[in-house]
Amino acid sequence: MKTVFIDPKHCVGCRHCELACSRAHQKSALPLNSESPKPRIKIQPGVDFLTYPVRCRHCNPAPCIESCPTEALYRDPEHETVLVRDDQCISCGICAQECPFGAISFVFSPELGKDVAYKCDNCLQKVKNGGEPACVQACKTGALRYGEANELVSEARKGIVFDLTRDIQGMEPENIPANMEAFHAVCAKLAEIGPMHSSRKSI
Amino acid sequence: MSEEYNVQDLKNKVDERTIDESAKPALTRTLQENIETAWDRLEAQQPQCGFGQTGVCCNRCTMGPCRIDPFGGSPDRGVCGAGVDLIVARNILDDLNTGAAAHSDHGREVVETLLETSKGEAQGYEILDREKMLSIAAEYGLETEGKSDNEVARALALAMLEEFGTIKNYIQFTGRAPEKTRQIWKKTGIMPRSVDREIVEGMHRIHMGVGADAANILLHGLRTSLSDGWGGSMMATEVSDILFGTPEIKEAWTNLSVLKEDMVNIVLHGHNPILSEMVVEASRKPELKKLAEEKGAAGINLAGMCCTGNELLMRKGVPIAGNMLNQELALATGAVEVMVIDYQCIFPSIPNTASCFHSKIVSTSEKSKVPGAEHMEFHPHTALDTAEKIIRLAIENYENRDPNRVLIPGKPTKMMAGFSVEAMLKALGGSLKPLIDAIAGGKIKGAVGMVGCNNPKITHDYGHVQLSRELIKRNILVVQTGCAAIASGKAGLLLPQAASQAGEDLKGVCEALGIPPVLHMGSCVDCSRILVLAAELAKALDVGIDQLPLAGAAPEWMSQKAVSIASYFVSSGVYTVLGIPPKIFGSANVMGLMTETLNDIVGATYAVEPDPAKAADMIEKHINKKREGLGI
Repeated sequence: MKTVFIDPKHCVGCRHCELACSRAHQKSALPLNSESPKPRIKIQPGVDFLTYPVRCRHCNPAPCIESCPTEALYRDPEHETVLVRDDQCISCGICAQECPFGAISFVFSPELGKDVAYKCDNCLQKVKNGGEPACVQACKTGALRYGEANELVSEARKGIVFDLTRDIQGMEPENIPANMEAFHAVCAKLAEIGPMHSSRKSI
Repeated sequence: MSEEYNVQDLKNKVDERTIDESAKPALTRTLQENIETAWDRLEAQQPQCGFGQTGVCCNRCTMGPCRIDPFGGSPDRGVCGAGVDLIVARNILDDLNTGAAAHSDHGREVVETLLETSKGEAQGYEILDREKMLSIAAEYGLETEGKSDNEVARALALAMLEEFGTIKNYIQFTGRAPEKTRQIWKKTGIMPRSVDREIVEGMHRIHMGVGADAANILLHGLRTSLSDGWGGSMMATEVSDILFGTPEIKEAWTNLSVLKEDMVNIVLHGHNPILSEMVVEASRKPELKKLAEEKGAAGINLAGMCCTGNELLMRKGVPIAGNMLNQELALATGAVEVMVIDYQCIFPSIPNTASCFHSKIVSTSEKSKVPGAEHMEFHPHTALDTAEKIIRLAIENYENRDPNRVLIPGKPTKMMAGFSVEAMLKALGGSLKPLIDAIAGGKIKGAVGMVGCNNPKITHDYGHVQLSRELIKRNILVVQTGCAAIASGKAGLLLPQAASQAGEDLKGVCEALGIPPVLHMGSCVDCSRILVLAAELAKALDVGIDQLPLAGAAPEWMSQKAVSIASYFVSSGVYTVLGIPPKIFGSANVMGLMTETLNDIVGATYAVEPDPAKAADMIEKHINKKREGLGI
């Protein structure tokens, strides 16, 4: 099973993934413009100016597929990808409501003349050709990584165990570089005394 | 953006955005009526890109844009091969160049006005502080005996303009620094050679493929900043004093309530006093007052905004409506007939804000045109005529005001301003000795130069006001310029009564002298006054500035000019605490250089701390260390 792993500690909120998503789904070669497809991944600000890339997890069983009354949502079994049949969507919003990750939105379809469910398609064509989803390709900080789930897990496990054992030995866990930790710490203080949505007090 | 708020949410949102009580009614209105402000735009910009915030994004050439993984992964070099240290250093030098250029170009314009005045070609200008002109002419080694004022003014203006070029290779005002500080500059190779040269060379150095040594790039940044602080900015201050008078201690009024319900309100916003001084002059014409009365107004009311406001406040006692984040809110009172803008820190969207009311924006500088504004270009030889035209436009616009939409809050706050170094000397009886004695005796533990902007990332005025309170509580005297000083004015800290908020020792000194514990020293180019004060203190004690119990602070800074100011503070030996992170966190080496290594080079570093109480602790610790060093 291939999947995208998200490491929020490495997300810098640059939104390269959003742009790459739009471009990957744009049919013309024109530069991105207001007509370009909306990104299916969303960089969402959280507390302390930290950000998180919200993207469909392609669950199995998928609450969206289970809840869709018209079978507009379905799975491509070969690539573990949840897709939408636009013409079957009745715009009821149940799938978005049931999604545990807030990864489904609605976008106007000119062909159908109404809003239809809109979500990540894992860049299916690229993946079928052996490539990676566009968002992962665009991420320069390792916040999004694509691969065999077990391989990604195994790598993550090494890091977790390394940190745990460092902790036992009274060592600091090996985290992000000290300068970026310092940056996050300053941003956290700023969030505390500032008026931003991302500050702790206004959430 | 259209949001509906319930009463409590609305109040919370306003309270989170500002601590300026006078700003709250107008700010509430902007939220209720969907009048867009900087706070809304900051929200709309979230999330802001971490590459840019940490300085690792390079957009200089078309092989890029490139960005480095600030977590140490790949990519670790731009297309040209630049690593993260170089990219971060070039970016900060770029900001510093821009800031130094802005100050110095402002300074040049004032010096050019002095030159035109000396030729009798500047309408309405005169030499108001002859004594200062003569003493500066002597500093420049100019012959003044038997010369007319105009001859001296001309020679002085030309001598200063020469320092923008590259032939002379020396900036006269650097001679005001104590010898020990000058030795540091010489040894480090950062003695500035000319105002324009350092900026142009700085721009050269950030071109693709010019050097790859981050430390070498940062050192040039320090030299460029010195050419601003001890050059362009100091010229702006001194020549403005010559033309418009050296500030004296005076009382004045501040906050948005200085706008008057029954008068024609003209807000003077920006940085350069050369036109706005003429607006003040023209506003005194009886025929204009009469015209205003004919239109049903009680008269003409001028109010300053940002540093143009500070310049007029310091010299003329013109009331000041607010600082950077007040500009949209002043318009949102619905009571502004005309907002006159020159340059720097003016929101490009300000005509949109004005268009929600009858208010007009009048741009006056050829350098600073704004779509949607009426452009009435200012030139020294027609300055007074232009000023009069602007006032007439405001009077004509008074009848378009909708009285039902006027929302002027409560009452203005009284403040004391005008603390030029000369005014301080006068108040102290002609010498700095009482101040030095107070510092040596521990009555005043030290002093902090607090400067800089507003930034919607931090609650408006909170950083300035809270840090000031924390410092005076610790018996540390605070001197301020720019938006910081305006914040303190609105919060009542620029009043002698505010001494009650100070520690016992500082309170005693303030009460004995009848001064506030926070002193307003002027506009942001007037940070040069802080340098002169520091230099005089150091010379009296025969030490370098870096040995003094001083610090700098910029709790709410946002502009490139602030990068230059912080840098000339640090390179002059003043430890400076920033409340907003500078764009250097992507490089551990650049951070190390700026926050540690520099101490061994210029005797001071930058530090970052948004929390005012913690910043005050850091400053107090630093001041105590310096006191120990001096054995006091």
